[in-house]
Amino acid sequence: MPDTGYLPKEKVKDFIRELAKDAIVHVPCLEGETVVFRPFSEDRELCLERPANTPPKSIIYPQSETLFSFEHKKDPEDHQKMSVELKVDIDAPGTVIFGARPCDARGFVIYDRVFIDTDTPDPYYKKRRENTLVVTLSCAAPFPGCFCVGVGGSPAGKEGTDAMLTEIAGGYIVEPVTEKGKAILNKPMVEDGSTRLKDAQQAQQKAHEAVKNPFAGGMPNISPELFDADPFWEQALSKCVSCGACTYLCPTCYCFNITDEQVYGKGERIRSWDACMFFHFTLEASTHNPRPTKFQRFKNRVGHKFVYYPEKYEGAIACCGCGRCIRYCPVSVDISEIVNDLGGGGKKEQQPAGSAKND
Amino acid sequence: MSVVAEKELRVVGFLCNWCSYGGADTAGVARFKQPTDLRIIRVPCSGRVDPLFVVKALLTGADGVLVSGCHPRDCHYTDGNFYARRRLEMLKRLLPFIGIDERRFHYTWVSASEGQKWQQVVAGFTNRLHQLGPLHAKKENEG
Amino acid sequence: MSTEKVKEAIAKVLPDVETVICWQGGFDAIHATPCFVSSPEQIDKVIWSPLCAQNLASYLPSMKKKVGIVVKGCDSRTIVQYMQEGLIDREKVVIIGIPCTGVVSVKKILKEIGHEAVLDASFDGSGSITVRTPKGEKTLAIADVCPDKCRTCQYPTPLVYDHLAGDPITSDKPKESVYQDIREFDAKTLEERKAYWEKELDRCIRCYACRNACPMCVCQDSCIAETREPHWISQKLSLQEKFMFHMIHALHLAGRCVECGECDRVCPMDIPVSKMKKKINAEMKELFNYETGVNPDDKPPMFTFNVDEVKIKEHKL
Repeated sequence: MPDTGYLPKEKVKDFIRELAKDAIVHVPCLEGETVVFRPFSEDRELCLERPANTPPKSIIYPQSETLFSFEHKKDPEDHQKMSVELKVDIDAPGTVIFGARPCDARGFVIYDRVFIDTDTPDPYYKKRRENTLVVTLSCAAPFPGCFCVGVGGSPAGKEGTDAMLTEIAGGYIVEPVTEKGKAILNKPMVEDGSTRLKDAQQAQQKAHEAVKNPFAGGMPNISPELFDADPFWEQALSKCVSCGACTYLCPTCYCFNITDEQVYGKGERIRSWDACMFFHFTLEASTHNPRPTKFQRFKNRVGHKFVYYPEKYEGAIACCGCGRCIRYCPVSVDISEIVNDLGGGGKKEQQPAGSAKND
Repeated sequence: MSVVAEKELRVVGFLCNWCSYGGADTAGVARFKQPTDLRIIRVPCSGRVDPLFVVKALLTGADGVLVSGCHPRDCHYTDGNFYARRRLEMLKRLLPFIGIDERRFHYTWVSASEGQKWQQVVAGFTNRLHQLGPLHAKKENEG
Repeated sequence: MSTEKVKEAIAKVLPDVETVICWQGGFDAIHATPCFVSSPEQIDKVIWSPLCAQNLASYLPSMKKKVGIVVKGCDSRTIVQYMQEGLIDREKVVIIGIPCTGVVSVKKILKEIGHEAVLDASFDGSGSITVRTPKGEKTLAIADVCPDKCRTCQYPTPLVYDHLAGDPITSDKPKESVYQDIREFDAKTLEERKAYWEKELDRCIRCYACRNACPMCVCQDSCIAETREPHWISQKLSLQEKFMFHMIHALHLAGRCVECGECDRVCPMDIPVSKMKKKINAEMKELFNYETGVNPDDKPPMFTFNVDEVKIKEHKL
C-alpha cells in the first residue's frame, strides 16, 4: 500500500459518503455567508475554500453538554425520604472531522494536555477525542488575520491531525499522519499519490512563506512588569467591547461553567463553554468580582495563552494562530500586536494598517 | 373539563390583581361555565407584565397567552395599564414577524364586576386556540 | 470630508477634553479600529475613510470625564437617543460631526474578494475601493459593498454636533425606502418567517457580541440573559434559548434601537440580528409617528403613553 494517496476533486463527495457509512462526518458547509461544521448530508453545500467561521472544537468539546441527568424521587413507602437517581450517558459515536484546518487540529493537542494527559482525564472529552478521526485540509494561502507561523504552527502543520489533504491541480494529496489516518488510504476513491507528493510539498512550502509572522524576530519575551501594569492594559483594551466572540471562536479556549438546569426536581448537570471576557466569569457569590473591568479580563485571556499555559505545559503556547479572534473581533483587537507590545515593543513587522489611502 | 371536546391546551393568563383577577373570581362565584385550559398567574398590575413573560411562555410550552388588566383610566395605580397597552400592542405586532401566530396572544381589559365578560374572554380565546391547535409538538409522556 | 479636516477638528478639541474617540487603521487595509487620542502626537494615526464603520458613540455612557468624539450622521442618532434617555451629560461630550456619504461593510468586501487576505486597499475620489489580494486586484463601488443602512440613509449629516468637519449634505434616498425590507418580510407567510428565524438563529453561538456592541444595550454586565436569578435562559444550547436571548435583546430595544447596524456588523455568524429591532421601529413609526434618535426632546414611546391612543384599536376575539 502506498503511503501517500491522491483524491481527485470530483470524488470528494463520494469519499465523504464512504466515510459517512460508519461515522458521523462533520464537514464545513456554507450557510448564508458563513461556513460552519455540520454533519454531512446530501443537501449540504460543502465549502472547502476557506476556514470555517467556527472551529470544529464543539464536535469534540461541545458548547453545552450534559454531564449527567438527575431526578429526585420520593420513596413510595415513606414520603419523607428522598433519593436521587443519576444517569450518565457519554454520547460519543464514531466521528470524522473532515476539512478542518491545521490550526484547528492543533487546538485539540492543546486541549489534550488539559483534558487527557493528566492524572484525572476528562471521560467526556477523552471518549469523543478517541472516537474522532481528524482529516485536515492544509491552507494554500493565508486568510485575513492568520498568523499560525508566529506561534509555531504552519498552514500545513500536522499536529493533532490524523490525515492531511493538500490541494494540487485536479485534486488532493492525502498524507496520513497516524495509524488511524492511514486507514483512509484504503478507501476506493483514493488513488496512489506518491509521485505527486512533491507538488503538495511545494504548495505547502509556498503557503508557509505567505503567512505573515507578527513575531518574526522570535517569540516576544513578555515583560513581567508590563504584564502587571494596569495602564498598559487600559490603554491597549479601551476599545474592547468585552463580548465572547474571541473566546467562543478560539480553537484553544476551553474554560467552562457547570450548572444544574432543573425543573421540578428533575434536570441535568450541564457543562457549557464560558468566556473569561464576561463579567460573570469571575463573579463570586458574595457579589465581589476579582476581575471587574474588561482590561483585567483581557489580561487573563492573553496571560492564559502566552504566560500561564506555557508555565504549566513546558513552554507550549495556547494559541494556534488561526486568526479568528482578530478576524471576527467587533473592534479589531489584535492579540499578536498586544503580545508584541508586551515584549517591549518587539520587532514590529511592517504594518499595512491604515494604508487605505484617502483623498 | 374543557368545554371543547379535545385534549386540553396550555393557556397562560396574566391577570391584574385589582380588576381581572377579581373578574375571574366573580365569574367563578356566579358559577359561569368556563374552559379549564387557562392557568392564571396573578400580577399586581398589567403594567407588571413584561412582554418577555409572554414570549417565554410561548417558547417554552404554552399554546396561548392571555393578558388582562383594568380598563384604561381605571388602573389601580393610575397609569400602569396605559404603559401595558403600548408594550402589548408592540408585542402583538412583533410576534408574527418572528413566526408566532399573533392570534395566540390576546390582551384585554376586564373589571372586577364583569364576570360575564370574563367568561366570554376565556371561552372565546380558548376556542380560538383549539381551532389553531397546539403550538408545540408534545412529547408523548406529557399531559 | 477628508482625514485632514477631521484631524484639524481633533486638534482643536483635544485641549478641552480627556480623550477624543476616533478611528485608526486596523490589522489589515480594510479594517479600521477605534482609537482614543489623548495627546497631540497621537493625532497622526487618525484616519477617516469609508472603513470607519464602527459606531463610536457606544463608548460614551461608560466615559467618566469630558471626551471628544467623532461621529457620522447615523452615529449621531445614538447620541440623540442617549440625550432623550438621560444616559449622557451633553456638557461632557464634544461632538465632531462628519457628513458621510456611506461606509463599507467588511463582510461584503470579503465576499467579493473571496475571503482572501488583503495586501492593500485604496479609495479613489469617485466612490470606489480597490482591494489588492495575492490573487489580484478588484475595484468595487462603495455603493455595492456598503452596509444595508447606508442604502436608505436619511441622515448623512450628524443631527447634533459641536464642530462639523466638512459641508452638510442632505439625503437623496426616499423616506419610504427605510422600512421596505421589513414590509417585504412581513409579506411572507408565517411558516416562511418561522423557518427563516429558526435557520438564522440556529447559528448563534451566544457570544453576545451583538449585545456588547449595541449602543443602546446599557445593562451590559447586568444583562438578564446571564443572571441565574431570574433564570431567563439556561446554559443549554437549544434553539429555544438562542431565540429567547434575541427576544430579550429586541424587546429591551423596543422603540430605542437607533438602527446603527452594529449588531449585524459584529456578528461573527452573520445573523441579521437588527431585523427584529427594525421591525419594532417600523411599528413605532406607524403607531406613534416616532423615530429614534432624531430629536433630543422626544420621549421614547415605551417611556410614555397617551390616555387615548389613536392608533391602538381594541382587539376582538
